[in-house]
Amino acid sequence: MSLRWPEIVPPRAALAFAAGVVALAVAPWVLGLSPYSHNLVTLAFLMVSGALAWNWMGGFVGQVSFGHAAMFGLGGFVAARVLLAAPELPAPLAWIAGGLVAGLFALGAHPTLRLRGPYFSIATIGVGEAARLVFTYWEDFTGGSSGLSLPIDSDMKYRLYWWGLGLMALVAAASFLIRRSTLGLQLLAIKADVDAAADVGVSATFYQDLVFCLSGAVVGVSGGLWASYFSFIEPNDMFGFDRSIGFVLMTVIGGVGTVFGPVLGAIVFVLLRQFLLASYPQLYLGLYGLLLIFIILFEPLGLTGLLLRLSRPLRRWADRPAAAPSP
Amino acid sequence: MSLLETRALSKHFGGLRAVDAVDLALHPGEILGVIGPNGAGKTTLFSLMAGSLPPSDGEVLLEGQRISGQPAHRLVRRGVVRTHQIVRPFPNLSVLENVTVAALHAGGRAEGPPRERAREVLEFVGLGDRTHAVPGALTLAGRKRLELARALATAPRVLLLDEVVAGVNPAEAMTLAALIRAIRDRRHVAVIMIEHVMPAVMSLSDRVVVLDHGKKIAEGTPAEVVKHPQVIEAYLGKGHAGAQA
Amino acid sequence: MERFVDLAVSAILLAGLYATMAYGLGLIYGVLRVVNLAHGGVIMAGAYLGWVLHGSLGIDPYLSIPLVVLLSFGLGMAMYRVLVRHLPRGAAGGPASLLLLFGVWLVLRNVAYLLFTGNDQAIRTSYSTRSLLVLGTHVSVNRLAVLVIALVTPALLQLLLRHSHVGRAIRAVAQNADSCTLVGVDVERIYTLTFGIGTALAGLAGLLSATIFSFNPGFGSGELLKSFVVVVLGGLGSVLGTGVAALVLAVVEVFAILVLPSYLTSAVGFVMLVLVLVFRPGGLFGHRVLG
Repeated sequence: MSLRWPEIVPPRAALAFAAGVVALAVAPWVLGLSPYSHNLVTLAFLMVSGALAWNWMGGFVGQVSFGHAAMFGLGGFVAARVLLAAPELPAPLAWIAGGLVAGLFALGAHPTLRLRGPYFSIATIGVGEAARLVFTYWEDFTGGSSGLSLPIDSDMKYRLYWWGLGLMALVAAASFLIRRSTLGLQLLAIKADVDAAADVGVSATFYQDLVFCLSGAVVGVSGGLWASYFSFIEPNDMFGFDRSIGFVLMTVIGGVGTVFGPVLGAIVFVLLRQFLLASYPQLYLGLYGLLLIFIILFEPLGLTGLLLRLSRPLRRWADRPAAAPSP
Repeated sequence: MSLLETRALSKHFGGLRAVDAVDLALHPGEILGVIGPNGAGKTTLFSLMAGSLPPSDGEVLLEGQRISGQPAHRLVRRGVVRTHQIVRPFPNLSVLENVTVAALHAGGRAEGPPRERAREVLEFVGLGDRTHAVPGALTLAGRKRLELARALATAPRVLLLDEVVAGVNPAEAMTLAALIRAIRDRRHVAVIMIEHVMPAVMSLSDRVVVLDHGKKIAEGTPAEVVKHPQVIEAYLGKGHAGAQA
Repeated sequence: MERFVDLAVSAILLAGLYATMAYGLGLIYGVLRVVNLAHGGVIMAGAYLGWVLHGSLGIDPYLSIPLVVLLSFGLGMAMYRVLVRHLPRGAAGGPASLLLLFGVWLVLRNVAYLLFTGNDQAIRTSYSTRSLLVLGTHVSVNRLAVLVIALVTPALLQLLLRHSHVGRAIRAVAQNADSCTLVGVDVERIYTLTFGIGTALAGLAGLLSATIFSFNPGFGSGELLKSFVVVVLGGLGSVLGTGVAALVLAVVEVFAILVLPSYLTSAVGFVMLVLVLVFRPGGLFGHRVLG
């Protein structure tokens, strides 16, 4: 058997993607990013990864989770514990351990996946909040409300830029492949009509478990990187409801169910958050609320939908006949 | 041996016996019609055979092996697939994608890439030129063909058709009937069909089973069944049965 | 034994409040099939409304009930007319309505934060600390009053639904909106009224909570989830079921203190929510909720 170029990946898209990753990889040297921008971009990488993974569940399968903070926090604290117990261990191993535990936790949520629509969403709020309380109480593991400090040096913090970029590139490529593959087709079928999907042989239970597990693992890994980056974590923040909401908002703002909507949404979310927290902290939540209302009512595909709408007349203008008489 | 068989198959909803101890057998290469007045339990019977509902009692056998109690998606892989009276295409997928999803679950009974098989099935049902349309753009008859194509793409051994002909105009009904016959003759799929349109079910079926109030009241060739007094009574009321006899 | 009676009494008092919170959520879901995620926000708004009326106009919280109910009713009708009604067709019960109303909740929280800052507030009246001796335990007069209102409210609701023209129309629409359109019921009007009534009940629950607990703009998330437990456990459309479910939740929460560290007792409600959804999706009184 010889290796073949997968049919579902257009070569042009692959090239553009590779170019983008390389550009981001060399950006700190070429642009001489300030520590502030370096920070912001690293955080954006982690948030983009999380939003993309949330979208596998919320966008492709159509099950809106308000509880992804549980996996984010778990991944963070497991990674932290591994690094504290064995500081000489390479950090990526600790992040992977965090991701595995988070993925297993997501598998444990199997019974809630029988629920559809609002019932699933509400159950995830319950799971998420219960996890927050239990892990905050479990001081031996999370350090309780005084949190944990990680043995991370500033060099590692600087290098996390590239680790974050790597994670994001991996998750973005996976999103694209899932969406284009027969797996994605089946997820969309489940989203449209679970019963009809079962009638043509799609096992909704299996695919939901699979996707929730993968999504939880990725969010767990990004939680581990986050923990390393801040070198101090606290359960009420890592497991907080606001973090779960963050994943929802990023994806919905960017365009739920699309491949690159979450990327767009997470970037806007991180920038907006930074700007709002600095200048108008009192308007922080309300603005997201208004954005959410606006998107649901007028542009269900979020910023991606808006861009598509704007690009249509532009493209028409670009494609106009060259000999068209000017008015 | 019969291909699909039910033994004392029953479903109770509270006190209501929607399906009551029904025995039936489907032989290879046969079209079996299931008729009966509204509320006779025909669709519930299908749901039991296709795994959409667990039976309260009795069992369903595929080539002598018990399949009842297994979920619908697993039965599809074993070769038992159903269609719905009210068609339910995936509205967010194209016609071709709708059928491709089904083609992924042929359970090793078909060869070749799913997409190509989906195309072939769409040609077969007469939707070969609409592969890129969305289901919403099809006529009702077109959506019924899509529903058929989706079921056929799973390379079934037993196809359960719930009122495919109902609701379309007479010309369309004729072509759909021809299609059902072709499914048996050219694709070698055994068919059980529920149908309200009497001429269609009588001309297509090799044998007919009549249900009333969840019970099987008659079975035989179409010609035998229409003469059966209990059948006439179930359809027309008591007085007519007496007049016929 | 004395401890047991103490706990039992406080569970009953708490149950009244939980039931009041849940009626509105259940009513809106039963009729419109929309989970009102803004429910918690309206509870919070009701609390602040009572606090403002008491603090700046000196109106006793119990006398301000009609005003709070009326204002929340208006808020609910406005939410329906301006927002919920415009949801894309077919998506009303899906993620879209959930996210839309979640957005409303965020906005309500932010408005409260801008108006009242994030500090904890509470309604303190002359009788806030007074208590009566019931069954050998001291029972706060205020909590007793809340319980009485919690018992009167469902009776009034039941009267409205069973014996008024509008109530009968609401029940008919809950059964089958399509046939109601056919026989000439203005379904949109019924939806608007139902959303208003459900929201008014949430506002009332908020006002009552404010006389017992302290609150801030984030208040209401725990209340939303508890309401949800009660609705799911109690089954839809059953006033008796709602009452019993509220009692079950309150008893479990209150008695959890005997076996769990106090910090974890608030997790009990969340765990119960998940267990109820997964294992008793039909509630104690039937009505399936699985999609």
